[in-house]
Amino acid sequence: MTKTTYRVSGETPFDGHQPGEEFDADLDADLEERALERGSIEIVKGTKKKEVKDDE
Amino acid sequence: MSKRVALKDSVKVDSVDLSNLARAVRLSSEHERVDVSGFSATGANEYLAGSTEQSVTVEFYGAYGTGETHATLYPIHKNRTVAAFAWRPDQTAVVGPTNPELRGNVQLYTYGPGSTRGETDTYEVTFNAADAAGFQFFTA
Repeated sequence: MTKTTYRVSGETPFDGHQPGEEFDADLDADLEERALERGSIEIVKGTKKKEVKDDE
Repeated sequence: MSKRVALKDSVKVDSVDLSNLARAVRLSSEHERVDVSGFSATGANEYLAGSTEQSVTVEFYGAYGTGETHATLYPIHKNRTVAAFAWRPDQTAVVGPTNPELRGNVQLYTYGPGSTRGETDTYEVTFNAADAAGFQFFTA
């Protein structure tokens, strides 16, 4: 299990974390992709899971 | 149990907390009523509970910022995504027997935001249960 560090970049709380807050999580790859696309979160440390999966 | 005024409800869609952008929630859970009546002395009908249709309708405020109502809901509808939905009466308290959380995986078959001049921008969104688990209340 690889945890990624995210920041809540949207204007609404995400996964129990407030806007601007950083958190470590092992999000589902599809959930992460949707959240990144709509701007709910951004990656602070780590890599996008979907890209890692597609490369496999 | 005491009565309550709905003020602190929690509404989450695809892990996004849309509580402050929602103002009404209504669960609909209905078993099909299957008529299995046969001849009888009383003539009364007999029924069995059949398949179950479940949905949750939420009235949202139209909000078009990053991660807000439209940004969260429209991609779910457009991409036919199955996403997690959760609602509980009190967002300030943990899930428990007196604060049960309704959870389910949902799809958005219909999405229809709009607006009327001079009025608050709100619209209803109906989340349909997307898998066999349906909507269930959890107390832990």
